[in-house]
Amino acid sequence: MNLVSCSVVENREVTPGNFLLTLKVPRAFSRPEPGQFVHLRVSPEVEPLLRRPYSLEGFVESGGIRAVRIYYSVVGRGSRSLATQPKGRKLDLIGPLGIGFSPHPRRTPILVAGGRGVAPLLFLGRKLRAKRRPYVFLFGARSARELYGVREVRGGRLHLATDDGSVGFHGSVLTLLQREWESGGHTPLTAEIFTCGPHGLLHEVAEFARTHGIRCQASLEGPMACAVGACRGCPVPLRSGVSGNGGRYPAMCVEGPVMDATIVDWERLP
Amino acid sequence: MTPSLEVRIGSLRLRNPVLVASGIIGYGVEYDRLVDLGALGGIVTKTVTRRARAGNPPPRVVETPSGMLNSIGIENPGLEGFLEVKVPILSQLPCAVIVSVEGEDVREFCELVEGVSGSGVAHAIEVNISCPNVGPHGLRYSTDADMAREVMTAIRPLTTLPLIAKLTPNVTRIAEIAAACESCGADAVSLVNTFVGMAVDSVSRKPILGTVLGGLSGPAIKPLALAKVWEVVQAVDIPVIGMGGITHPRDALEFILVGSTAVQVGTALFANPALPEGCVEEIETYLRRAGVPSVTDLIGALEVPPERGLIRAGRASAPRQRKGIAS
Repeated sequence: MNLVSCSVVENREVTPGNFLLTLKVPRAFSRPEPGQFVHLRVSPEVEPLLRRPYSLEGFVESGGIRAVRIYYSVVGRGSRSLATQPKGRKLDLIGPLGIGFSPHPRRTPILVAGGRGVAPLLFLGRKLRAKRRPYVFLFGARSARELYGVREVRGGRLHLATDDGSVGFHGSVLTLLQREWESGGHTPLTAEIFTCGPHGLLHEVAEFARTHGIRCQASLEGPMACAVGACRGCPVPLRSGVSGNGGRYPAMCVEGPVMDATIVDWERLP
Repeated sequence: MTPSLEVRIGSLRLRNPVLVASGIIGYGVEYDRLVDLGALGGIVTKTVTRRARAGNPPPRVVETPSGMLNSIGIENPGLEGFLEVKVPILSQLPCAVIVSVEGEDVREFCELVEGVSGSGVAHAIEVNISCPNVGPHGLRYSTDADMAREVMTAIRPLTTLPLIAKLTPNVTRIAEIAAACESCGADAVSLVNTFVGMAVDSVSRKPILGTVLGGLSGPAIKPLALAKVWEVVQAVDIPVIGMGGITHPRDALEFILVGSTAVQVGTALFANPALPEGCVEEIETYLRRAGVPSVTDLIGALEVPPERGLIRAGRASAPRQRKGIAS
């Protein structure tokens, strides 16, 4: 982890309200793992005051150039400001930060993405493909227009779901997961789940995994101030009775953002 | 000639007046790749309480216009955990270590001061009698001069380390509390802690913070903080450590000119880890340009027309200077 300067290579709207940002980073930025994030200064101005945490959609290395990619939605002051940063703009970021996904070497990964939560799973999918590992990619969004990155999914079996039925299954990606589990011949010893998306979806996926005894890692999202474990501003509530809980709150920034979804108390996570 | 940046807080000699505030930098090690601790005067640790605290339910932080509201709730491993796990880390730091402590009652304050003092790792103790997020007792010790006196009187005989009383701005007359701490043996006062604040989500009709109320910090509070420091500087003879919204290096100079012997950088460090170092450089450059040999000559060097100074201040004397020099 380092504080490095970076510059905007590309920052464009790729799906309605969602941008793909490519930032050139120096060599001092070490190679990130899928699921890790960066703490980005979204503007050269003092406002917004705090950095914003973004998980990575990808990491590109070619011809001595290194770049990180971030897929973000315009939802508040920070992302609105970020969306206005033009090509060439100098920013800085701290990273790579946090704990990423850790696939078991002999289990089939089932990736479950909701909306813009697809970002770190695309990164994971690419890494699995590079290792020639087969995987299942289940991707749900509100409509076909929001299905960013589906052509990126190679080497994996892709199933889509949309709330409006504009493409793929008409309904929730959770149903795709239930069907995949029933028809795919998976067991908790042969498959595991990696998920990212709205916390409501993650809660449902976590419940499914817990009741079936499946290992399930989720990438969480939330406000952070320091992002290095110092300020304790990003607590993750754990379910009561979980071993190692002891009433404590792990910090999302250093004990996450990827965590065991089955121990998180989703009711108390904003 | 290189100007001197050294200041003193009681018997503690700081190589420069720039500190990082409590709750910002953890125990130093969290930021060791981002902040050059060796360039700082020192750090103030996350507050240690008698027993471990899990902290408050989320959300704990929210950004507000030019500021940040927090309600962390002093998540910390407690005195035993501090002594076992944090002291070995702190003992490696290349700067002064000021340990922040907070008790729920006088007895806990005493146990904390004895424990921290005995650890040998602290260069000074900041007595946090002003956290807004740990009710019901948290704020009482620094909103009531008698209670502040009670704590300071009890802990003073227990250590030879400099004791710094950290004050809340959420009072009508902060100078009275500062004077009470001084009269009971505080070597310095530090201010301000955060201002009580609140943020609301009109869509969900809910408060944004899990605890409804939190503490406001960041550039939004700098003018308020400067005014509180100004008020206190004129009421006490012990050094004042100023903080509240330092975001640009020149902000540190403003606090010093108003009468702070040292300053603490807080919230803005999250965005700019190089800020404390920037403050040190700014002070040095300023002294060099002005031909001033020592930063202690700047303390309280604000030029105020006498009649203006009287309007606000409780005491008629001009701001004292050279407070940072040991007698």
